[in-house]
Amino acid sequence: MTDYAAKDVPMTAQARVKTTRNYATDLAARGEPMVFAMGGSLAIGLLMIIGILGLIAWFGFTTFWPQHIVQVTSKDGKVIAGEVFRSESFKPADAQLAAVPAESRAKIEEDLGYAERTLYRVGNYDLYGEDFQWRNEYDVAATEMPADMTFIERQEWGPFVGRITALSLNGVVTQNPTLDAVNAAVSEGQARREAILDLKTDEIGRISTEMEELRLEVKSAALDYGATDQRTLDKTAEVAEKTKALEAQFAEKTTTLQSLQAEDAKYTMTLADIGGQTKEQELSSIVRLYQPNQMSLFEKLGIYFGRWGEFIFSEPREANTEGGVWPAIVGTLAMTVLLSLLVAPFGVMTALYLREYAKQGRLVSFVRICVNNLAGVPSIVYGVFGLGFFCYVLGGTIDQLFFPEKLPSPTFGTGGVLWAALTLALLTVPVVIVATEEALASVPRSMREGSLACGASKWQTIRWIVLPRALPGIMTGLILAMARGAGEVAPLMLVGVVKLAPELPLDLSWPFIHLDRSFMHLGFHIYDVGFQSRNAEAGRPMVFVTTLLLIAIILAMNATAISVRSRLKRRFAGSQF
Amino acid sequence: MTDATQPSGQQPARRSVTYQRPKTTSRSVLFMDKLADRVITVGGLFVILAVLAIMVFLFWVCVPLLSSGSLDGRTAYKLEAHAGGTYAAAQVDEQLSIALDVALDGKVEAFHAPTGKSLPAPAFDMGGQTATTVGKTLQGGDIIFGFADGTMRIGTLLLKQIVVGEDTIPADAQKLDDRDVLSGGFVFSKIPGQFRRTSVETTLEAPVQIAPAGTAIRKVDYRVSGTAERPLKTFVSLDAAGTIRLSQAASVVNMMTGETSSEVTSSEIPTDVAADDVVALLLNADGTRVIVGKKDGTLLRFNTRDFKAPKLVETTRIYDNGTTLTALAYLNGDNSLIVGGSDGSTAVWFGVDRKDPNTADGIVLTKVHADFEPMTAAIADIRVSQRTRMFVTSDAKGEVWVRHATTERTLLELPEPPDAAGLSATIFAPRDDAIIGIGHNGNVALWRIDIPHPETTLQSLFGKVWYEGYAEPQYVWQSTASQDSFEPKLSLVPLIFGTFKAAIYALLLAVPIALFAAIYTSEFLHWKVRSVVKPLMELMATLPSVVIGFIAALVLSPIVENWIAAIVIAFAVIPITLIGAAFLWQILPKDMAIRLDGVPKLIFFFLVVLAGIYGAVQIGPAFEAAFFNGDFKLWTAGEGSGQPFLFLLMLPLSALLVFWVWTMIDSVIGYRPWLRQQGDIGAGSVEFVRWALLIGVSIAVSWLFAGLMTAAGLDARGGLIDTYVQRNTLIAAFAISFALIPIIYTIAEDAMNTVPEHLRAGSLACGASKWQTARWIIVPTAGSGIFSAIMIGLGRAVGETMIVVMATGNTPVTDFNLFNGLRALSANINVELPEAVKDSTLYRTLFLCGLVLFALTFVINTVAEMVRQRFRKRAAQL
Repeated sequence: MTDYAAKDVPMTAQARVKTTRNYATDLAARGEPMVFAMGGSLAIGLLMIIGILGLIAWFGFTTFWPQHIVQVTSKDGKVIAGEVFRSESFKPADAQLAAVPAESRAKIEEDLGYAERTLYRVGNYDLYGEDFQWRNEYDVAATEMPADMTFIERQEWGPFVGRITALSLNGVVTQNPTLDAVNAAVSEGQARREAILDLKTDEIGRISTEMEELRLEVKSAALDYGATDQRTLDKTAEVAEKTKALEAQFAEKTTTLQSLQAEDAKYTMTLADIGGQTKEQELSSIVRLYQPNQMSLFEKLGIYFGRWGEFIFSEPREANTEGGVWPAIVGTLAMTVLLSLLVAPFGVMTALYLREYAKQGRLVSFVRICVNNLAGVPSIVYGVFGLGFFCYVLGGTIDQLFFPEKLPSPTFGTGGVLWAALTLALLTVPVVIVATEEALASVPRSMREGSLACGASKWQTIRWIVLPRALPGIMTGLILAMARGAGEVAPLMLVGVVKLAPELPLDLSWPFIHLDRSFMHLGFHIYDVGFQSRNAEAGRPMVFVTTLLLIAIILAMNATAISVRSRLKRRFAGSQF
Repeated sequence: MTDATQPSGQQPARRSVTYQRPKTTSRSVLFMDKLADRVITVGGLFVILAVLAIMVFLFWVCVPLLSSGSLDGRTAYKLEAHAGGTYAAAQVDEQLSIALDVALDGKVEAFHAPTGKSLPAPAFDMGGQTATTVGKTLQGGDIIFGFADGTMRIGTLLLKQIVVGEDTIPADAQKLDDRDVLSGGFVFSKIPGQFRRTSVETTLEAPVQIAPAGTAIRKVDYRVSGTAERPLKTFVSLDAAGTIRLSQAASVVNMMTGETSSEVTSSEIPTDVAADDVVALLLNADGTRVIVGKKDGTLLRFNTRDFKAPKLVETTRIYDNGTTLTALAYLNGDNSLIVGGSDGSTAVWFGVDRKDPNTADGIVLTKVHADFEPMTAAIADIRVSQRTRMFVTSDAKGEVWVRHATTERTLLELPEPPDAAGLSATIFAPRDDAIIGIGHNGNVALWRIDIPHPETTLQSLFGKVWYEGYAEPQYVWQSTASQDSFEPKLSLVPLIFGTFKAAIYALLLAVPIALFAAIYTSEFLHWKVRSVVKPLMELMATLPSVVIGFIAALVLSPIVENWIAAIVIAFAVIPITLIGAAFLWQILPKDMAIRLDGVPKLIFFFLVVLAGIYGAVQIGPAFEAAFFNGDFKLWTAGEGSGQPFLFLLMLPLSALLVFWVWTMIDSVIGYRPWLRQQGDIGAGSVEFVRWALLIGVSIAVSWLFAGLMTAAGLDARGGLIDTYVQRNTLIAAFAISFALIPIIYTIAEDAMNTVPEHLRAGSLACGASKWQTARWIIVPTAGSGIFSAIMIGLGRAVGETMIVVMATGNTPVTDFNLFNGLRALSANINVELPEAVKDSTLYRTLFLCGLVLFALTFVINTVAEMVRQRFRKRAAQL
């Protein structure tokens, strides 16, 4: 033992003399593998967010770009024409592989059994019964892009891909019309369509609404006075007279409508698909048409922005997979605004109570923990509560008290924009409370004391000293709450969101904002089109664009929150003691 | 004194004159102050109460689930003309306007159920004969009589109900009670919103000879199936000679008269029982099964699928202790048998497919529910509900109890039975809202009952329940099906299981990434870079979950399905690439490494991760071909050897083992002190080679382990992984981790940021590296904050709805399979609540799901919050 120690001493002494000490850190101390694991995790996290945003942005922004129409000839002689939708590599089944020519099979085997295929959007759902067709790469003999292939968007049946062979305007038939002639005829057709639609929804719709109102008046009188009361009988007679007049109007309008429709049916064009099948199409049912293979960049940009305009400002059609999302935008905004009107005063009031009025003690800190917790309670639980309490209990009571004539069909006793906003207000109020409390706490005590010492009352201090300083925090909390509310879908599905709302919650008929109406929502639109539509594939581009819009709205709100915070902070910077 | 005060008292008065300023606070200020005080206090308390009321409300909606029901009233009266005896064909209509029973001579005794007033009703015209037995279908309407001469007659006994206008009610109608009036054999009822007219209608067809002439028919059971236009009437009968016959009647319309008659074909069931021994005959709805119950407790089961040749398939005894069988009935749906014994016991039996060789079809009649409270006397009669699995038993003393078959509960023991000598008929009202007991002495009791949720108990919600058609007690969630006789199966266990399955797999993925990223951001990144990176990660938290769910389901799941082998291998490839890159980095000269530390290094991380992904995609197909028979999905379904996957599972473990063994060897051979003597580049290179060798050894060891485990019969398939479905837990976990990573990351990063700067500075000043500081100072100090971050992540994962709805198949299964779907509590509410009828059992059960979810997240968040509070306090003290 001693021997060993004795031997050791001179060695170190020797080392000290001969070499200077190596100050290099031990490699293990640098922990480079762990640093890489941590840095790699951060990279993975950032890649995830960049990836998902990039994916949405890419698909969202490219969806409306007019694609070339590709004509694909298969080796077995079949020809299709359509836009390239997407490509992927896949694994053909063994039976499928057996039918593949030898040289292609060798290539597939080289790629370990994977082959490429492309999905073409061939349109013409009314002729083919499907919108999309796959073409395996090894099956394709030739692809080309004929200049006169036309992409025709229609009100029904999705797009048509093919050629326009004839134009029939009130009996005058032109074979192989020019694109300009067709476009002119189409815009006339759209005008006719507008006229028909106006008549249908505005005039005829108004008449039936009035008739329904009259019917409810009688019912309400019967409920108020009893069925046999003289006043009810008077009312019945009066209503019968008015109804008669309305019915006459209704009949008249219907005749006009029918004649308009008959006139409209005389303006058609003949379309032919790539295989030669023809289809007679009314001009008024065309949304737009273009020949992408011979368009200039400028024209393409025109189509692109035209589609964006249609998307934002028009109604959906084809079970929401085409057209626009205007009702969903209005619904989302109406709900969010209503939500913020509810959540702001109550949230701020609660925070003021907890921070400025309540006696700080065990109870208040318990309440504070509860409030913090509620921010973490799943949104669906609020949805359950909203359905059970707001819709059924509150709404049911309101219906019985104020709208007995409409029962058993509910007015407030079912989902609606008010209940949705209230539910989301409950969901987001903890966010506002927490943010406001933190903002209030950050106002220095000295400022409060100064104000009180100058003789201001408690409310004056809060109103003129505390609240202005806390405003940035409150605003941030509020905007974050709105952003969260705008993005929630699960609770809304229980309390009032619908796939297609016949009427907007905001419109031009009295009282302009209709709290009882159900509404459409961008988030639910995504779920509905992506998961519940006839053809999920056809709806996909729409889902991406809607997603892009929703994310843009939410990110804009969050960005506003951040900039409001920093701007107001600057305003009050330097006013600290 | 007064002199002194006089001037000083005057002085302020004079001053006030000079300044004219009032010393009192202005009224408006006081008012505003008070108003604000009130409004804020009331408003604040209101919001707090409203928020707390959520839990109370959810609880309040769920409470009725556990109640066994209530008796809403009892009405008693006496039927004067009642003759006594047993009446098999008693029934009542849905509105409880007309109740009736049928005597064996064809007389229909009808009475107004709420008051007992006798009503006129058409009798069956039997031409003076008296029937020996009566059979009827469960819903009523169809009736059959058997006679002493061996003939039978099919008939109908309708309680016909139509909706009428108010003006059709005759003015001279006789008032029965507040709701009903009587006029000419019709009872008019005023139901909220409409008027209904109820009347009794009877028809009787000509006699058909079933048994040999002169042999009396003793027992009969009758079923009508098929459509309303082409009904298939089947009945089984027992004659005095002990012969049991199965008969089918097809309706024939006489072209001349337009009358319908029935053409009956019969076949004999091969058995030799004494007619007196048989307690009951039972036929199921489609006429494919006949059960004969004998007094000694023997049940004979016949398969009559082949109408021409019925077969005895099973004989079983239900009593061993000398008890005799006294009542036998099918539960709604004609699958479960309810047996009542002379000792007052009740049990439910049904056939369970056990592939048993002792019975012809492998199905064994099994006593499934026996834990019913026994009645005090022999069970005399069993009547079943037409819509649920409730039934009533009445005993020889006339007691009537309401029970539920699956939960084995006695829901109500009806008070004051009308006749202590027993009942001649018991009627279970079609809407389950009343029970009528008719005593032999003509006394009648009408009990109005309200049992909204007979099928739910704590046991049925949270325990295993043996449902009809299942081989054993199980946790099942199945709320709806197409058949009428379907029993909702509402166990929350598969849902809670699914919730945690998704949450835990998601946490396994999210926690390492989020925590590592947080440590790196907090401890290694320059503050300028951090101020870009952190908001970017937080941006992910603002993504609506519907967006993540949609991407996961429509974009990710097809990709994952196509590239599953590459994804599986990526879990090994990416970490190995990263660590390998770290060892390569160590080879860099030190000054260069220091210069590149920062943004270039961060970019390098990206490149390495991307290289790892690329590598996984490249290796994927080859890996799949080499180890998984060329098709991973087929492999998960059980094709090929389980060794490759076990190898992947064992890889981290064996790597740990190998590296631990190395540290042992290291300290013995003095590798590390030696390494320190080498230059930067030299040491780095040697380390890289060492690491590569050890990884190679780990792979070998892991392969060895996997081989041993496979040889021992272990296989990950069937447990952790199994048959692949497109929308599965892996996809859901990955998608949920999108939502979790930013939350856990932000909170953990904040916690590490609040660690006081002097601790960090002190550690670095002592010569510790950044990594050592992070590992030994920062992480332990921020530990509780990190824990609370994980807990909050768990809370979020448990409550996540839209992602789970969209990315999983929503199948309520209870297995650990990573490649199978799941159904979480939240998704279940989302899927089912919009369709649930208000106040139905399903509705309340879904509220219970909400309450469970609320409670779960509340507990998780409270723990997290308390830990965080404590951490804050401690951090402030440091």
